Amino acid sequence: MIDRLTAALGRSGADYTEIRVERTWSTAVTFRGRRLESATASEDQGGFVRALTAGGGWGVASFTSLDRLEAMVARAVELSRAVRVTPPIRLAEVAPHRAEAILDLDGDPRGVPIAEKKRLLEAYNGELLAVSDRVVDTLASYRDEVSEYWYVNSEGTALHELRPEVTLSGTAVARRDGTIEKGLESIGLRRGWNSVQDKAAGFREAAERAVQLLDAPMVTGGAYPVILDPELAGVFIHEAFGHLSEADFVYENPQAREMMTLGRRFGKPGLNVGDNGAAPGLRGTLPFDDEGTPTQDTPLIKEGILVGRLHSRETAATMGERATGNARAISFRHPPIVRMTNTYIANGRGSFEDLIRDVKLGVYACGAFGGQTLLENFSFTAAYGRMIRDGHLAEVVKDVVLAGNLFQTLDRIDYIAGDFRWNQMGGGCGKGGQAPLPVTEGAPHVRIEAALVGGDVPSGAAA
Amino acid sequence: MIERLLERARRRADGGADALWRRVERTSVAFEWGRLKAAGVAEEAGVNVRVRHRGRVGVAGTTAVDASPDDVLTRALASAELGEELALAFAAPAPVPPVTTFFHPVADASLDRLIAMGRSLLAQLEREGCRVNITIEREAAETQVANSGGAAAAYRSTAIGVSAELWRIAGDDVLAIGDTYEGADLPSDDALAALVRSVNRRLEHALRVVAPPEGALPVIFTPLGLSALLLPVTQALSGKAVLQGISPLAARVGEQVFDSRFSLTDDALRPGRAASRPVDDECVPSRITPLVDRGVVRGFIYDLETAARARTHSTGHGQRTIFGKPVPGYTNIVLGDVRSLGDVGAQHAAPLQLGGGLLAEIRDGLLVDELIGVGQGNVISGAFSHPVALAYRVERGAISGRVKDAAVAGNAYDLWKRVGDFGNDGRWAGARYTPSILLDGVSVARR
Repeated sequence: MIDRLTAALGRSGADYTEIRVERTWSTAVTFRGRRLESATASEDQGGFVRALTAGGGWGVASFTSLDRLEAMVARAVELSRAVRVTPPIRLAEVAPHRAEAILDLDGDPRGVPIAEKKRLLEAYNGELLAVSDRVVDTLASYRDEVSEYWYVNSEGTALHELRPEVTLSGTAVARRDGTIEKGLESIGLRRGWNSVQDKAAGFREAAERAVQLLDAPMVTGGAYPVILDPELAGVFIHEAFGHLSEADFVYENPQAREMMTLGRRFGKPGLNVGDNGAAPGLRGTLPFDDEGTPTQDTPLIKEGILVGRLHSRETAATMGERATGNARAISFRHPPIVRMTNTYIANGRGSFEDLIRDVKLGVYACGAFGGQTLLENFSFTAAYGRMIRDGHLAEVVKDVVLAGNLFQTLDRIDYIAGDFRWNQMGGGCGKGGQAPLPVTEGAPHVRIEAALVGGDVPSGAAA
Repeated sequence: MIERLLERARRRADGGADALWRRVERTSVAFEWGRLKAAGVAEEAGVNVRVRHRGRVGVAGTTAVDASPDDVLTRALASAELGEELALAFAAPAPVPPVTTFFHPVADASLDRLIAMGRSLLAQLEREGCRVNITIEREAAETQVANSGGAAAAYRSTAIGVSAELWRIAGDDVLAIGDTYEGADLPSDDALAALVRSVNRRLEHALRVVAPPEGALPVIFTPLGLSALLLPVTQALSGKAVLQGISPLAARVGEQVFDSRFSLTDDALRPGRAASRPVDDECVPSRITPLVDRGVVRGFIYDLETAARARTHSTGHGQRTIFGKPVPGYTNIVLGDVRSLGDVGAQHAAPLQLGGGLLAEIRDGLLVDELIGVGQGNVISGAFSHPVALAYRVERGAISGRVKDAAVAGNAYDLWKRVGDFGNDGRWAGARYTPSILLDGVSVARR
């Protein structure tokens, strides 16, 4: 394949050309309630070409029929020539790499019969249903894929990789009269079949949580000291800061560049944030990004000060910085754009108890149902919360939605514990129509001295 | 491809099969931060097949369409072996309603034409201190859907999306205002002018930042800002949610659940809309489906499988991709009286005016154009709580400025029981046609 792609590159005639080809085998099994919803095996294949000519823009072509490879290279070159760009697009230097990377499959799922995958999921789904007869519905899904990946560019990079991925998730829906609550378990790993065995406990906990929330009051809206558990702190740093550190947002926007000037203070000393695409064994980890740049650990905030950002080769060249290996595409259907990999808040010190000891009235927000950022403003939904009263955990509360302004909220992080962990969840990140991209987030427990929690508006506030 | 596949399927699957084949070609141009940066093409083809064998149903898909049809059939049969028994009946042969889905101006639109459209929009939107992103994407598709019982349909379709997004960053204040034209035919000059006006109007009002109000207040949700209020309702009106026992509307057909001026219809035959089609992806003829009529729940949407399980008929809402099995999905959702819409296929039915004529009724309140985090959390319960992405304060009948750092919360079912008023600014936002809606007693919090 590499020879065929290299030959196609040779006939390109553009200043720069890259070709990606992917062949993906996947199986997916879904249970809803006691019923198997579907069990399917799919095969997806296709290619992607990107070309750059002198003074031209990006010419891009994607296709599912590999017979069209040579024609699509020619088409991409033609499209690049049709788009005039001044000043011209430049790419940051990256040394050419030739690599063969077979990632640790830890049990190649292609060798496991789909009936066995069904049995595994059926057992986990059974754990959800067995918790209580209040669990009226479940959604449990298993998905694996192995993707064979080839990448070449006209600068001499040639990569061949085998990339595994496996995700497992379970949602329990509990109901009593008109009240419906849910609990979620989600696991996502860049590994294979062996790594998703013995996961029943997490499924049980998810169902127990859904049932428990039926009796929980809605949190009273207002500003509180909020402690984020490591899972939610990870989602928070991804949503509230990570997206802003993606250089395609700032590189050609002078006002945005000014807002994100390196050296600007974003938080108190003690706040350290980074993105590490090379961290071993994580879902956002790969040896190279989709431009053939090696991945790396990129510090973004050091002791509260902005020190770095995430780059593609184009954004790095424009800003006079180095490519960081963050140009990623979810599949051959898409161009690489600047994305996160494994984003983290680094460890502080002390324990969870140290964080809550002096909190008179606060919220402990746990787990994540999701998050969205609209630069500067973000919102994320915790799976559940616990009130903190006089330094101790108190009642469970539901509908904990945290909303905030990025600059204010980062600056209000006043305590970071020393209990860091990576959250190996499924799902993924969405941007520019590309979702879900496998990413990981990691953090210790984090305290925000004051944050807005959505919920019931206190009745006294009614106009 | 599809005939060959079904012919093999007749021999190998004792309960028959149905299949969807689709080929799409796309062209796109992208202006990034005010500069034309990229042009692209995409070609994609694939087939999805479903078989019924020994009473069990299985599905498989592939983009390797040149491969032997037996490969994908073998996978579909393996999938069926695992399934439980289901009395799935494939669609019967039936006449197909007329609907125009293919527009030559879109199919034939040249790259230069798309670039010129983008440049014109850029020229009208650019200004000091702002940066503009524009994406234009057109596609032409061929679809064949058929089953072993003799039902078959084939149609060509086109679609185009024109998105403009204006960014203004002043200090730490980030403002993004965007709008999108979507349709099956090229936008008229009027439609593009409306897109420009839509962005400009909202920008003008946004330049001044004012303090948000607080309390239980009258709030106008614009057609773009209405998602949080409609999402719980459309989720609950899916036959799938009913089957799962999680739809709060399940047992309420024939009951007055909403304001008597609230009607909701799914219209798969609306002219000029990209979601319109003569048959669904399971070869069931398209139709107009009343969901809520003057506040009374009328019915739910079904595909073949959910209909079989619920012992009812498909409403023609089967949607399938190349991978995975068909699921029930909406086409064009219309809020209001669908009969009074006439031939509305265009983006805007009424002159664009922020607030849709509802501002005058408000002494102190909010106009919400975009919320953050819609779709997160426990949507189907109707409860929502979202910070605003773009919202304006309304004081003494006029917009006084943009508010930041505010959040709105409430329960969609409670709010839809009594609507304050409906605006005169009905328009398409994606595949949804709505006017602005004024709701009373929405919780507004600030920080």
